[in-house]
Amino acid sequence: MRSAPSLLAAIAALPFAAGCSAIQPVQPWEKGMLARPEMSFEGDRLEMKFAEHVYFSREAASGGASVGGGGCGCN
Amino acid sequence: MQLNARAPGQAPDPARGKEAPGTAALGTTILAAAFALPGLHTAAHAESAPEQGVISLKYVDYQDRQPGLERTSVRSPSLSVLAPIAGVWAIEGSLVYDDVSGASPRYHTAVSGASRMEDERTAADLKVTRYFPRGSASIGAAYSDENDYRSKAVSLQGSVSSEDKNTTATFGAGVTNDTIDPVNLIVVGERKRTVEWMAGVTQVLSPRDIVQLNFTHAAGRGYFSDPYKYVDNRPRERNQRNVLLRWNHHVDGSGGTSRLAYRHYRDSFGIRAHTFSAEYVQPLSGGWIVTPSARVYSQSAAYFYFDPVYHGIFGPPFPPGYTFADPRPLSADQRLSAFGAHTFGVKVEKRLAADWSVDIKFERYEQRSSWRLFGSGSPGLQPLTARIVQIGVSKRW
Repeated sequence: MRSAPSLLAAIAALPFAAGCSAIQPVQPWEKGMLARPEMSFEGDRLEMKFAEHVYFSREAASGGASVGGGGCGCN
Repeated sequence: MQLNARAPGQAPDPARGKEAPGTAALGTTILAAAFALPGLHTAAHAESAPEQGVISLKYVDYQDRQPGLERTSVRSPSLSVLAPIAGVWAIEGSLVYDDVSGASPRYHTAVSGASRMEDERTAADLKVTRYFPRGSASIGAAYSDENDYRSKAVSLQGSVSSEDKNTTATFGAGVTNDTIDPVNLIVVGERKRTVEWMAGVTQVLSPRDIVQLNFTHAAGRGYFSDPYKYVDNRPRERNQRNVLLRWNHHVDGSGGTSRLAYRHYRDSFGIRAHTFSAEYVQPLSGGWIVTPSARVYSQSAAYFYFDPVYHGIFGPPFPPGYTFADPRPLSADQRLSAFGAHTFGVKVEKRLAADWSVDIKFERYEQRSSWRLFGSGSPGLQPLTARIVQIGVSKRW
């Protein structure tokens, strides 16, 4: 388990490490689909906040997407 | 949630609702032309200042239970505002009020002697972002207040994009200071301080694919025990690491978008966790959008969690070999046991005239020891189920 994150990171970072040579650069005029709200990683802000709150209070793992969200007692 | 590929309201939203094939082709051509215009071509994937403001209201009703015990009930109205200023600034803020009541086991999932609670929580956060031609910088603050727990956090984040805006690197740092004053006075004025770091990369892979890889590290020092649980003595240090990989993919055939994520978590309590989540956003005709979602979670137990096998003389909640001056870290908290959990949900959204939209979401969550992945779960615990209903309304201006 100890090596799982680094292994995962190495696999995930391959496209970046390869200088994106295998990826055809996407041109500005090809980004119409990418501009849709559902293609953003942000999503519905209040919904995500509540989901984080629920999982924080019922599971041991938390975080991953941002920093500085603050804590709570949530027992 | 800083690594947005697109600021809200920034770019056209061309394909909400169904279009006739000819219209779609024309739309694509016009869109292509629009993005080729100077000044507009950065819209899709730079972090750009939002052009529209958004105000959202949401009401959440949460109830969880285990066999024989209605546990926690939360009713929570919230408000969120995003306001663009002068084309290069954005202010985001939210206010949340939680009305919490119910019962919580004092050890494992024991029903008898469960602690009754009644609490209110008020939380607020504010973030100011300055946008630059190839990046952004933001400062944020968050505050949460309960009668026995207060949390204050500040954060800084920055992002830099490549010239073609296909690659964005993001960095962040935050500090959270918590004060814990339980009503049972088991401790007074306890503190917890957490320093967090984040680094991430967002990459456009194709006109239909965008991926993001995030690393976060949190170092916490102070009071981590649960003052309302029996025999709960946790280490005063907790270090947490996450690797989060997310992939959004647009499906041409259906006009929908799949949103997939995997998170690997580990901490110095000895807990390892995997989280897989998936949702599919499907726009339909008439301004309707339907989003089914699923999440699978699994964790191992903390090294100091003990199973519900009790001391031969003292009985529950004391573990075998327990002495009253026991210095060992110990916990019988279900949240630190080994288990798996599933969430299934569906969200229905309706876009209305004049930039209004309404939405409703139903979710069901269930936690079971036997659902742990890659290992066996902790024995002797009851399953926990929750149902969550959210109703929201938004207005853009």
